[in-house]
Amino acid sequence: MHSTLEVKNISKGYHNHMVISDIAFTLHKGEIGCFLGPSGSGKTTLLRTIAGFEEVLSGEIWVGGSRVASRGFSVPPEKRHIGMLFQDYALFPHMTVFENVGFGVRSMKDLQKKTYIMDQLSTVGLEGVARKYPHELSGGQQQRAALARALAPRPRLLLLDEPFSNLDVALRERLSMDVREIIKEQRATALMVTHNQQEAFAMADRIGVISDGSLQQWDDAHAIYHRPANGSVAAFVGEGALLPGTVIDSRRVECGLGILEGSFSSPCPIGCSVDILIRPEDVIHEDDSPFKAMIIHKTFRGPNILYTLSLRNGDSVLALVPSHHQHRIGQEIGIRPQVEDIVLYARGEVCLTEMPDPNERHKFQVHC
Amino acid sequence: MSNFSITDYLRTRGWRHISIILFFVMVGAVVGGIYVATQRVEYVWRWYRVPQYFYYKDTIETRAEIEGEVASLVAKGDQVEVTVRGDGEEEVYLVPADSLRVDEGDFIYPGDVLGSYQKWKVGILIQGLWLTMAVSVIGVLLGIVIGLFTGLARISSNPALRWSAITYIELIRGSPLLVQIFIWYFVLGTMINAMLAQKGFSQLPPLWFGVTALAVFAGAYVAEIVRAGIQSIHRGQMEAARSLGMTYPRAMRHIILPQAFRRILPPLAGQFISLIKDSSLLGIIAIRELTKATREVVTTSLQPFELWFVCALLYLVLTFSLSMFVQYLERRTAIGG
Repeated sequence: MHSTLEVKNISKGYHNHMVISDIAFTLHKGEIGCFLGPSGSGKTTLLRTIAGFEEVLSGEIWVGGSRVASRGFSVPPEKRHIGMLFQDYALFPHMTVFENVGFGVRSMKDLQKKTYIMDQLSTVGLEGVARKYPHELSGGQQQRAALARALAPRPRLLLLDEPFSNLDVALRERLSMDVREIIKEQRATALMVTHNQQEAFAMADRIGVISDGSLQQWDDAHAIYHRPANGSVAAFVGEGALLPGTVIDSRRVECGLGILEGSFSSPCPIGCSVDILIRPEDVIHEDDSPFKAMIIHKTFRGPNILYTLSLRNGDSVLALVPSHHQHRIGQEIGIRPQVEDIVLYARGEVCLTEMPDPNERHKFQVHC
Repeated sequence: MSNFSITDYLRTRGWRHISIILFFVMVGAVVGGIYVATQRVEYVWRWYRVPQYFYYKDTIETRAEIEGEVASLVAKGDQVEVTVRGDGEEEVYLVPADSLRVDEGDFIYPGDVLGSYQKWKVGILIQGLWLTMAVSVIGVLLGIVIGLFTGLARISSNPALRWSAITYIELIRGSPLLVQIFIWYFVLGTMINAMLAQKGFSQLPPLWFGVTALAVFAGAYVAEIVRAGIQSIHRGQMEAARSLGMTYPRAMRHIILPQAFRRILPPLAGQFISLIKDSSLLGIIAIRELTKATREVVTTSLQPFELWFVCALLYLVLTFSLSMFVQYLERRTAIGG
């Protein structure tokens, strides 16, 4: 398959502080890639470097088979044929929607251009507001206008910088699906950055988890969630807890939930101390289970409730329970672990200094 | 009957009414005070003398240009055709009948008055006002051109451009305009005129140096206004334009500057108003703008009180109508967002 974007070990930084270091990945034609990471992880810098607004310190960037950046060399952004959708859309306020979308379209005769732009507008459902100015549009319309503008010149690559963060939650989900459809329909290749994993899961074919300026894992959504490459990926993506445990043999490990049996994500010698990733859906609530845990925190989620449970040995896990099972904090409930693929990391490897999101502090317990 | 008391009144609208009355009382007191003070120094107000410096009736005399005899007087409507015949030469003059000063057969010497007529002429204050407007407009237009380029150079990544811009701006803003006018006229002007004289060209009048001084002065301030205006436009606008295939200069012209213009307009108007007032300094290099004109009128009329008030009022008319115009422009160019 032809690769549209190839990033070869790029680094970028100022003085002694590296913003991104040694990042390498490949995005194939027609794919949608997504970088997921907390604020300040360097993901926006990475995107701006690919767009050509920042220069690399080392490494190379190739777009559509030609080198656009390396140390001391940078093709200016206007020559890269890379479209960009900005977080605040950056629509030109003194131009109509039609003029905005037509702005990047050259090499077309007037009449042909007009038809083409109207086509592009109808793709995003904005043919009715072509003559309006950006400030007369709603947030969602502005976003689609910006998308149409970025796609109109048929860029080799489309970059999306936190495209949904300025929209309200209800609109976000619908638009992320719309945007994915539009991108797929136009057979465009796209790379997006976000700190919202739902967006990443909804949009992307490939997800890169980035933290502290380096790429932790570059994989599909399923693998990112179920086989996180390391503790910081596990910590950032999804919810769960890391339980300390000891390997008993090649398929069994002992921890606060008892002895778990299954295939290991990485081989570990017998007797070594590990951290085991337990997702909330791995802990099943069964009233008659002999194994009891105490509820210390609960979050109502509509269809289900997320309980934070304290185990006998003092460790805690998360459990996702259908919401008709109402229990009080302090109550003991029966649980059963259901883990087939055991994701474990040798002890000491995981040490997350930064919580993913201060509003969701409960979602991960870190043992260091 | 409501239980409305004086304290309620004071608490609600009373203070507002009292303040408004107080304002007019204070204005009246200042004007009255000045009037009383002028009475004390026995100043005689003669406002009727002021209009002649705006517009006046000038008497233009028709004088004979040759020596000879008045050969004939022929009435032509209100006019009389006077024919003067000299030694082998003859001239015909047309003068109004009621101003005729000669008779047929009179002997005339060159320069003798044959008759006169009257004509309305623009007074010195209006001439001064006109010159003030002209130097301000030319000054600000040149200043905008200089300021635009300097402002762009100021934010350029090229050190040669950026440092030149900074040096220029700091030099100009760091010294008084009066001194700059002196330098332009007495130093640079002398040099330029001396060089022109060596090459056999005619001298440049003080007006050129005066306008240049104003333009260069305004340019430095406009440059900072332009820079601030450009930098106030969100970075994303430039990046969006460039990612759509536009080069930096084209994006600057089509995206950034049109948006910056709206934000630049109010401070630019302020700068223009300052320039109108600063142009009063040009009088010192013999440019007869409004202030210099007033000074001349004061020396001849000996009515300084009226004339300086009139002078100030004329500046106020200029600056006030300008700020009204700019407000209108702002409303017109205003688009939301």
